[in-house]
Amino acid sequence: MDAVTAEKTHVDAPLIQGNPTFHDVSEKISSLIEGKTPPLWFIAIGLSSSIVLLLLGSVGYLLWEGLGIWGLQNPNGWGWAIVNFVFWVGIGHAGTLISAILFLLRQKWRTSINRFAEAMTLFAVICAGLFPAIHVGRIWLIYWIFPYPTQYLSMWPNFRSPLLWDAFAVGTYFTVSCLFWYVGLIPDLATLRDRATTKIRKVLFGIFALGWRGGNKQWKHYELAYLLLAGLSTPLVLSVHSIVSTDFAVSIIPGWHTTIFPPYFVAGAIFSGFAMVMTLGIITRKIFGLEDYITIRHLENMNKIMLLTGMMVGYAYGCEFFIAWYSGNEFERFAFINRAFGPYWWAYWSMISCNVLVPQLFWFKKLRRSIPVMFVASIFINIGMWFERFVIVITSLSRDFLPSSWDYYRPTIFDVTTFIGTFGLFLTLFLLFVRFLPVIAMAEVKGVLPQADPHHHDTH
Amino acid sequence: MKLDDQTFRLTDAGKLGMIALVIGVIGLVASGIGFTMDKTQFFHSYLVAFVFWTTIGLGGLFFTLIHHLLHPIWSVVVRRIFESIMVTLPLMVIFFLPIAFMGGLSELYHWSHADAVAHDALLQEKVGYLNVPFFLIRAFAYFAIWAVLAFLLYRLSLKQDDKHHPELTGRMMAISAPGMVLFALSITFASFDWLMSLDPHWYSTIFGVYVFSGALVSVLALIILVSLSLRKTGKLKEIITVEHYHDLGKLMFAFLVFWAYMAYSQYFLIWYGNIPEETVWFAHRWPGSWKMISLGLVLGHFVIPFVLLMPRKSKRTLPFLGVMAFWMLIFHWVDMYWLVLPNLHHETVHLSWMDASTLFGIGGIFIWWFWRTLAAHPVIPIDDPKLDESIRFVNH
Repeated sequence: MDAVTAEKTHVDAPLIQGNPTFHDVSEKISSLIEGKTPPLWFIAIGLSSSIVLLLLGSVGYLLWEGLGIWGLQNPNGWGWAIVNFVFWVGIGHAGTLISAILFLLRQKWRTSINRFAEAMTLFAVICAGLFPAIHVGRIWLIYWIFPYPTQYLSMWPNFRSPLLWDAFAVGTYFTVSCLFWYVGLIPDLATLRDRATTKIRKVLFGIFALGWRGGNKQWKHYELAYLLLAGLSTPLVLSVHSIVSTDFAVSIIPGWHTTIFPPYFVAGAIFSGFAMVMTLGIITRKIFGLEDYITIRHLENMNKIMLLTGMMVGYAYGCEFFIAWYSGNEFERFAFINRAFGPYWWAYWSMISCNVLVPQLFWFKKLRRSIPVMFVASIFINIGMWFERFVIVITSLSRDFLPSSWDYYRPTIFDVTTFIGTFGLFLTLFLLFVRFLPVIAMAEVKGVLPQADPHHHDTH
Repeated sequence: MKLDDQTFRLTDAGKLGMIALVIGVIGLVASGIGFTMDKTQFFHSYLVAFVFWTTIGLGGLFFTLIHHLLHPIWSVVVRRIFESIMVTLPLMVIFFLPIAFMGGLSELYHWSHADAVAHDALLQEKVGYLNVPFFLIRAFAYFAIWAVLAFLLYRLSLKQDDKHHPELTGRMMAISAPGMVLFALSITFASFDWLMSLDPHWYSTIFGVYVFSGALVSVLALIILVSLSLRKTGKLKEIITVEHYHDLGKLMFAFLVFWAYMAYSQYFLIWYGNIPEETVWFAHRWPGSWKMISLGLVLGHFVIPFVLLMPRKSKRTLPFLGVMAFWMLIFHWVDMYWLVLPNLHHETVHLSWMDASTLFGIGGIFIWWFWRTLAAHPVIPIDDPKLDESIRFVNH
């Protein structure tokens, strides 16, 4: 059934187009790794790794010279680094949402996008983790954040500090996401091992496939492990950004201290994560010719999630603004008037336009299914979500309780190069991933093909 | 109670409707006597009962909207149940009238007293929102939204029973998408108006979502209980199977965790910030035996059901699931009581017979109306295109 008739009868279009056999799936996805490296890949990784050099240079200079090279000042003790940290952690939310929550909700369309979305989760969390680490100033003492017993230090970290919770929350999230991703990879690694034509591939894939033979018993254990990891990851998807939100919300700074912060941050994180999955997904799909695997149906579903989460952050913006007025508290009111009409009005309205207005395009089916529209929209959403964190971090700090200490925050060139540098790191890791690992979960995609269910037992 | 095998109508709806109606009338008459005795206590008890049943109705509306938006398969068999719960919403406007026009506002809401506002700088700041005419306009706007959505969606749903109307699925979806936006806004502001403004100085941005999360848990509980009672008719055993109960149980579990997440976010951030104008709200829920209710809510609305509903078996053992559903309904009432009554009884919990009479009064009418709606039409959507799949549905 083609997409048009499927639409008319309200029966969903097939998950995988082109009716491939199991063998076709293995051939197509494995060929991306086994074939000759395309020249474009070399150009791309050349560019992205040059940007990594920019990152290394910026961080190196920071460690040599100190935090003074950033735009931090009084009262803005937090600047771009924290904005970027929250931005990247947020992006790292789509992958685990897709692999865990959509799995528990039996959303089979997730199989085409979960692998590279999870990879992006890991890479984004790596980029995120860099910022607080270099923000501490003396990165060589970063291990002091861990409450390990030692006579040497004779003190403990402050367990009441959300910055410490961050270290645990993000660390746990990274570990579990990594495990989840790896468990999902095992059957595919075994496929690659079995197909390997060179010694080195056979050995490496063989080691990482952990002796997978694809027997009935192994699959049984595998599926149970996958289900348990999905169950464990689900609260983590919600907890990480809730903890990140407490970095702000446990303080009593107007604009930061508000009870809706945890769910609002989670919705924003999923929103931005999906936008990034969309941006890179569209490029990957085009370059590798994966149109039959990542179909318009997948993209449309992601757009619907972006519409939903975009409305959720819009709800939170509105709710905050209303309650700031309703509180009758002049500091609360000022914080929000200042956001929208103060010196950072341009950031606030960029945020509103990109995060609230742009997703409204997805009310229209035609726009929801148009690749140019969704590509541009996803980039705007990425920008908007960066501005959201900028608005939160900068506007509240720059206008603190003492008007004599007010100042206008300006980033320096090193703030900018460090941020751009993390994009280089992110893209480099992503490029390595698409070259060396299967970008689509072969075993899972085979499971949703019609021939995997000959009795039409399982039609949802 | 008998169910016709061909039409899936209840040919004999049993005595439930009648019993509910009698209980409702007795409850309302008793509450009316209470009204003449102690208006202040009456209105506080009444508000608890009113929001308890209204939030369940709103939960029914939410499930209908989300069902049409997501096209799930498993929930088709219980669709009529949550649609019928939704249809109680137009009825609730009648129960709002005493609050609006019989002195409820002045008994419940401090901000409605002009002399109080005159001596309160903060209330003067809010007078543009917290004033009687605007409060009433808003309340009737919420009811208008809910009633129109309920009416439109229920009418289309019945129309689908006549014969095969695949296009209606799309129509219901087209209403539900903007309907969901209206629903989110209306339940938020209704929570602010009816519950948060009881303490007009206090504010919390998450409050609307908190009330919403409780509504979700309680409506799932009611869906489970109604499905279980329909099983007595025999035929429905093969339609609403243990697989569907398993899913309902999973969702009830998920949303009670969601409720805890909302409750914890609100409590924790206010506790940590420790600003008197915010902590005062929790401080009012701590003196005397209020402590027990506050802690009891944590245990009863989260910890105990969290542990008990975790195993797969507990969601598939129907009598047990029924007990847990009933348990969650009780704690939804405790939650609403905990939101309202500390504004009246500051020192300690002071239960009144009117808490029960209003709960059963409104509840009796609610159940009677709900049962009448459900019994008047096929109890499953017989021409839903996905019904067969839904019946065959199996959890893995």
